[in-house]
Amino acid sequence: MTTADEATARPAAPVRLPLRRPEQGRWFGGVALGLAAHLDWPVRRVRVMFAAASLIFGVGVVLYAFLWLTVPVGDPVQAAEITRPAFLGRLARRQEVSGRPLRLPGPEVLAGVLLLAGAALLLLGRDHAAVNLSWVLPVAVLVAGVVLAWSQLGVVTRGRSREVAGGRAQAFLRIAGGLLLAGVGVLLLATQVIGTGIDPGLLGQVVVAAVAVVAGVALVLAPWWLRLVRELGDERAARAREAERADIAAHLHDSVLQTLAIIRARADEPGEVARMARAQERELREWLYQDRPAPGTSVAAEMRAVVAEVEDTRSGPEGEAVAVDLVVVGDRVPDACTAALLQATREALVNAVVHGRPPVSAYLEVGEDQVEVFVRDHGDGFDPDDIPADRFGVRESILGRVRRRGGTATVTCKDSGTEVHLVVPVGPCAADEEPTPGNGTAQQNQKEKAT
Amino acid sequence: MNAPTVPVDVVLVDDHHMFRTGVRASLDARVRIVGEAEDVDGAVAVIHELRPPVVLLDVHLPGGDGGGGTEVLRRCADLLAETKFLALSVSDAAEDVVGVIRVGARGYVTKAIDGPALSDAVVRVASGDAVFSPRLAGFVLDAFGTAAGDVATGDDELDRLSAREREVMRLIARGYSYREVASELFISIKTVETHVSAVLRKLQLSSRHELTRWAAARRLL
Repeated sequence: MTTADEATARPAAPVRLPLRRPEQGRWFGGVALGLAAHLDWPVRRVRVMFAAASLIFGVGVVLYAFLWLTVPVGDPVQAAEITRPAFLGRLARRQEVSGRPLRLPGPEVLAGVLLLAGAALLLLGRDHAAVNLSWVLPVAVLVAGVVLAWSQLGVVTRGRSREVAGGRAQAFLRIAGGLLLAGVGVLLLATQVIGTGIDPGLLGQVVVAAVAVVAGVALVLAPWWLRLVRELGDERAARAREAERADIAAHLHDSVLQTLAIIRARADEPGEVARMARAQERELREWLYQDRPAPGTSVAAEMRAVVAEVEDTRSGPEGEAVAVDLVVVGDRVPDACTAALLQATREALVNAVVHGRPPVSAYLEVGEDQVEVFVRDHGDGFDPDDIPADRFGVRESILGRVRRRGGTATVTCKDSGTEVHLVVPVGPCAADEEPTPGNGTAQQNQKEKAT
Repeated sequence: MNAPTVPVDVVLVDDHHMFRTGVRASLDARVRIVGEAEDVDGAVAVIHELRPPVVLLDVHLPGGDGGGGTEVLRRCADLLAETKFLALSVSDAAEDVVGVIRVGARGYVTKAIDGPALSDAVVRVASGDAVFSPRLAGFVLDAFGTAAGDVATGDDELDRLSAREREVMRLIARGYSYREVASELFISIKTVETHVSAVLRKLQLSSRHELTRWAAARRLL
């Protein structure tokens, strides 16, 4: 066994990893690899020891087969992770046992095994001429069948047969083929024991009798087996439900319960309470109803983040929390233009919340060639031409920002309120002195700190 | 809108006792709550017994076959001519809202709505008009598309909005009240209501694939 540089990334943990048979990097059943991880030895040493032990009356082979059957498949590091306390597991994820999925090519191994077996037979035949070949064939058939059936055991017991190439049908075929081979082997052996040789008539009787016995036993045991299967299914469903409930409970505990506790403690500050309730509502809503898009892929999500930030950090003229009604139509991938638009939107929202009068509404419409934002409040409004030049807020951060991107910005004041209308064209965006990446609008806004 | 002299009778269907109490306290004199129910079967029974002009219906309800508000609407389909349903929801999920609209609700408001606005909505629904919240208007625009070429030319076209209807929807989504929409577009409130009702009809009958997908998700087809 020539081993390559089996650099199994064993974590330098003082505790011993549980005994598992890893699927990555195994040669046969992963026994040596798992044992090495468990004992914290080099894999090479374990493999050499197995090989050496095999020479002593096949002890190594027997031991290997025994461990193959008894040790469950799995990643030792992950198994250790599961048994570790949760608070440790959260801190950092361990490195996984990595290794090339090294497998010897099946046909060559088979040929080698057959050759070895042939050689052994020849050797035995020379020393003890009494070896009867009629015994060898049934045993070989039996062993082949058993190996074929057991080779699927690890897969089937883990319920992962669907992930394996070929799927369930192949697994079933292999087990059925293994059963058939083993059955034929047993029959041949039985006829051998009886000593009549392979007599077709007797063989037929034996087959019928064997099938009848097996069928009878199956019939008797069927109810127990069915109940076992059903209980297993029930148990699995219960565990899934339990996991789901734990997930929800953890979320409620981490967010909602804590917020409620804070709200109760600060019940005499209505503004703060309203703000916290609003933030919590938003967060819970997001958790319940929305599939969160990946960051940097959705203007709508960034708009929601902007609104959330303004709601959380800004208060109305009397220090009260102001909710912003946001409606979003359409979505697209953000670019520099929408980033500028959202920054301007943020300034407009801050203006509406701080200086205007609630209710404040925001509307984002993503069209094919332009993105529009309306921010509306019910305050008395302001005339953009009257703004003194030193008030940088509206003039520069709202109007200027959008106009530099080839968009338009208008402020309308009516007796029903003030509305800021921002439009930017999307597509190739004009370069600009502000280096604005396509995402991360919220963080940028926080750095910028409006006037 | 003039306050009618006779208050509108309403049945309130919601599974949260606290919320029912809150609504009862916040509604003004134009609305009178004559009955309450807290699950699907109770709601169907109360509505069939009292036959109120308006039902305030929560979208998420326990009981029945698990269909919530849409199930109540389906089992009260025989009353839709005389009883108007106004859907109430905390959920922002489009399929919930569009689901109840597709089976006959005359409008949708969120539970964050304040008392006077809810009373307004009830009176409006009672008089046969549709009630759209900004968010529902946003759903409509999302479902029917906002591309410029996608405009209905005839009144009988169900799968697209007319330019005017889209304008009205956009203003409602921007937070305008019907009155403000009317003055913005220089039309009467009655015309605004006509447009909104037309959009509601399209929302209920259109076979646009976005809507049928929603409906299929709620097993309404």
